[in-house]
Amino acid sequence: MDTENFTTLALRVIAGEASAEERRALEAELAATPVQREEFEQLKLTHEIMRTTLPLVEAASAVTPELPAYRVNELRTAVRQHFGAATKREKKASFGVLALLRWIFAGSGFAVAGTAIVLLCYANRSVEVGLYGTGLDRSGEQPLSAQDLPSAHLVTFDQDAPFDEWQSRPLAWNEHAKIWVDNEHDLLHIVRRVRQGQIVMETQPLAPTDEAQREQIKQAVEALKN
Amino acid sequence: MWTDRELLTALQRGEDAAWDEAFRRLYPSAFAAARHPLASLTPAEAEDIAIEALTLLLPKVKTVAAFDELRLLVITIASRKAISERRRQLADKRGGGDLTSLDAMQDDETIRFEPAEQLISHFSDTDLRDLSRLLDQALSGLEPRNADLLRDFLVHHLAYKELAEKYRMPIGSIGVSLARSLDKIRSHLQTMPKLSKELAAYLR
Repeated sequence: MDTENFTTLALRVIAGEASAEERRALEAELAATPVQREEFEQLKLTHEIMRTTLPLVEAASAVTPELPAYRVNELRTAVRQHFGAATKREKKASFGVLALLRWIFAGSGFAVAGTAIVLLCYANRSVEVGLYGTGLDRSGEQPLSAQDLPSAHLVTFDQDAPFDEWQSRPLAWNEHAKIWVDNEHDLLHIVRRVRQGQIVMETQPLAPTDEAQREQIKQAVEALKN
Repeated sequence: MWTDRELLTALQRGEDAAWDEAFRRLYPSAFAAARHPLASLTPAEAEDIAIEALTLLLPKVKTVAAFDELRLLVITIASRKAISERRRQLADKRGGGDLTSLDAMQDDETIRFEPAEQLISHFSDTDLRDLSRLLDQALSGLEPRNADLLRDFLVHHLAYKELAEKYRMPIGSIGVSLARSLDKIRSHLQTMPKLSKELAAYLR
């Protein structure tokens, strides 16, 4: 078998294009001329290198698709959570150990610690539900009310800017989660605190009817409280 | 309009507008990397991976010296996560007893993921830049039509039959053209023996 025929056959086998007969022919060729084995391995390696790395190189010059608009808030939340948390860490680190010890043994620390324990028992379970003026969750014959969601805190908005700002704002230390409806994309967004204080954002498809949406929000709040 | 240098400085300060701009610029690369052919994820799955990869840039931004390093970072993160995700999906199918899918899998597909995954995990942005330059040179040494043929074969996973239709070539000539192109690429790779050796160490 000449070199070109061998390379072509070998590539067909490597690419999964070869028939059983062609695979047998290659095996016979490799067995008959061991020097071709190295040639085959080299071709296979070049194919693997290209198959793994060429898509990465091509990705560097990709210009489409555009970032989907409905994912922007998720990214903004991540930015604020990251840089917000960094600021807090810096402040904490600047509080000297000696000053802390002085403060504790002067007595103030014990009193504050007691208060903090009481607060911690009640904190970190609060859920905010953001409602927009024209949203389905506030309109219709039976808009959502505090009675429907006794365990959540309803926050209402009549303008885009404050609603956007509320969505993007990181969770406060005493907030467990917040929920809002994205009517533009028919999504329900949930930002919640999980283990070790990590904050995650989840998105659910919005239920199709007003009533089902109200039920969906109630269920989401209940799930978060549990 | 931000220059790359201004943008990086603003990103490191945590400015919201700068991050909006960076995510807008980097998303196409993140998405393309998440659609790595070895992973074969759906567009929706690739979108999730791309978004996750973009958020993983946040803790890395203070460690880079140029904006373009973020692009290389997001590519390696997204492709690695995409391949891991695919491997997880296949493992779930195997665990779930989905024998039909297993039968449909060619050879030991999960095993073939691992070298690629390891290789990408160990890629530094310098490696990717060197490789990018090398492959650009190698591909530009081919006839444009042969370079496109090779890209369609390796990046878009077109079968010989589809390539023959797209390029209006006899199916028998496809393998010959691809084999010649790969031979030329191999000669280029040998001009960077250190990188070639590193690549071979993971993929052999």
